[in-house]
Formats: sequence, structure tokens, C-alpha cells
Amino acid sequence: MKDPVGGNQKRARFQALCQSLRPDLLRFAFWLSRDRALAEDVVQETMLRAWKSQDSLQDEGSAKPWLLTIIRREYARTFERKRFVTLDVDELISKEEPTLAAADDEDLAELRVAIFKLPDEYREPLVLQVLMGYSTAEIAAELGLTNAAVLTRLFRARKQLRALCGEDTRMDPEISVDSQE
Amino acid sequence: MMDCDQYRRAILADPHGVSAEMRSHVAGCHDCTQYTERVQRFEDKLDRALRVDIAPGARVRGLRGLRTRLARSPRRRRRWLAAAASLLLACVVAGSLWLVAPGSSLAADVVNHMAEEPDAWARTDVPVPQPQLDAVFGESHMRLKADAGLVTYASSCLFRGHQVPHLVVQTTTGPVTVMVLTHETTRGQQRFNDQGYQGVIEAVPGHGSLAVLERGSAFDERTIEAVIAQVQSAIDWTS
Repeated sequence: MKDPVGGNQKRARFQALCQSLRPDLLRFAFWLSRDRALAEDVVQETMLRAWKSQDSLQDEGSAKPWLLTIIRREYARTFERKRFVTLDVDELISKEEPTLAAADDEDLAELRVAIFKLPDEYREPLVLQVLMGYSTAEIAAELGLTNAAVLTRLFRARKQLRALCGEDTRMDPEISVDSQE
Repeated sequence: MMDCDQYRRAILADPHGVSAEMRSHVAGCHDCTQYTERVQRFEDKLDRALRVDIAPGARVRGLRGLRTRLARSPRRRRRWLAAAASLLLACVVAGSLWLVAPGSSLAADVVNHMAEEPDAWARTDVPVPQPQLDAVFGESHMRLKADAGLVTYASSCLFRGHQVPHLVVQTTTGPVTVMVLTHETTRGQQRFNDQGYQGVIEAVPGHGSLAVLERGSAFDERTIEAVIAQVQSAIDWTS
């Protein structure tokens, strides 16, 4: 026999859970797509899919990685559907200027622009690590890479960002040609 | 034995995943110590840069929906264009308001959570019984040892999708709230002063962070630091 009260409570709890995670998921989708409108669409669609299959989530503690995986799939699906042509980074930056701007810190806006310029394969693991708090092993599992490949990408991502932001890179190690990928 | 190049490569790949080998190298290397400080400063900035203000997307979503409808009904285009212009104006105004509105930061979420449990701030000397503390921390797979100070409130709260221990520790300057946020990775120490609450989010390497705050104008840095140290050392993180 169904338990409508328990079911309602469960749904309310799931809704609260999604709401609490939404800001970070939206930020992740934004950095993934570099398009705020697209990020909102992807997160919206993700929430719908998650809602429909909420019974498959056994443990609330794993809600964040679960939703994040749906976001990545949904974004890939959107990308396939729309068959985007080559993206012009400068155009993206100009379009997303309000989101990239940091009223009280010009350096921050500059760094955000530099993050926009990172190749996808460097930007995504970096966002997973810094914003979502993923460990190297978790990033590797999510992206289907080895730990060594993840660390190489993270190293390259920060090295590029530091150079783009005019940091003192004289002590930075060189990118070796035999870095594992 | 790790050399400088290997150390810097590793710290640049994961500034917070410092292994014993890395620690041992940097302990005896002045250049790498300086390098680490620079990398950590950059990392703090990177963390803040990624936390862009994301407000509900009524502005853009409305416009996108409108574009779709326009494409579907070309005969109505002129009327829709007029509506679109009005909407755009409204969106620009809404967007401007959105730009000056504060974003949803971890500190803001902690402060908002305080409003949900005002009774927690009572001044009392009645300690929470150990079985209750065990139950609260047990929900988050941790344990709080007896030397955390006078804990007068303990609850396991749903915060950003996770059950987290919410405590109040009594100090000589008044009650101090602590939230144990093992799922919130932060960098260093972030201070906040919002809606009458003052405190810090303190990174706990490998275990997320602690939010420690006082209410009103009672902010006392030494008390906050003492509570951080006391609670941090009293938590058994891997129970």
C-alpha cells in the first residue's frame, strides 16, 4: 500500500535538496557552457530529469555528484542537438560580461575572462576541483580519465591561468612533453 | 626524494592535496615555501572567481521563450517585437537590480540557516547529553569527543543537501554557533558580517570547513579562534 504522507514528505525533502544545491549546479553549468541562459536551461532540464527518477537516488549525500552527472549528460545532449559551430570566445565573453564582472575587484573579472579562455578539457576538471570540491579520483571517475591525466590537466589549467593573469610565472615548472594524458 | 620541479608541479595541480612527501620537501626549501604562498593566494582568488553571482534567470529565460514564440508565429512578429522591447527594458532594469544583489555564498547560507533555529542561541549552562551528541554527529559519520567545551545545543540539520552537525558552544563572551561542513571545501579563512551575525568560515584540510559565528556585536576574534581549535580537535572525523 502506498504511503501518501511519506511520499509527500520525501518529495518535499527532495525539492528542498535540489533547491539548496541549485546555485552551485548553476555555477558549474555556467562554467561548463560559458553561457548563462544555456546553463539555466540545462539545470532546469536536469532538475526535471532528477525529479522523474528521484527514486533512484538512495542516499542524499550522493545527490550532488548524481545531479552533476545529469548536468554533464544534459549539456552534451544540448550540444549535440544544437550542433554548435566553433565558438568565438571573445563573443562569449562580451555576451556574459555582466556575469563575469566583479564590481569590487577588477582582478577577479580578469581571472574570470581567463577561465573562459581555457580549453574545455582544462576548465572542467578545474571547476570540479575548486568549485565542487571534487578529489582527483572523483574527477577522474566523472570524466573517465586516469588520476595522472587529471593532475596534468589541472597543472596545465593553473599554469595557463597564471600566465593569462600576469602572475609571476618564473618559478613555474615547464609543461613536459611526456606529461601523462 | 622529491625535487623542486616535482613539488611545484604537484602543488599547482592540487594546492590542497599536500602529501607527506611534499610537506617534507617544502619544509626544507625556502623557494618552494615562497612559491606555495603565491600559489595559495592565487587559489583563493580562483575560488572567488568561480563563485559568480547566479540569480534566478527570469531575465534571460523570458527572452529566450519569446524568441521561440516569435519564430513560431511570423504574422504576429511586429506585435511581439513591441512586447519584446518592453520586456527587454524590464529585463535590463531587473538585470541591473540583480547585479547589485548579493549572491548566494556559503556564509550567506549559514546566516540564513541561523534564522531557522533562533532558540539555539539561548544562554544556558545545561550541556547536551553525550548520547544526543553521538546521534547528531553519527548522522554525518563523525563523533564529538567530550573536550569540545560546554555544548548546549546540538542538531543535525539539512544544509545544502547534506546533514551537518549544528552546535552551540557557550563561552565567556556568550554563545558561539558552529556548523561542521564536511562537504564544503573552502580556502583559508573567510570572515563575514551579515544580518547581525559575525564569524568565519575556516577551512579544515581534508574535512571541508567549519562555520563559527556569534550574534550581534559580540565578535571576539580570540573566542572564535579558541572555539575553532577546541571543536576541531574534539571531532573524530572518521568515526
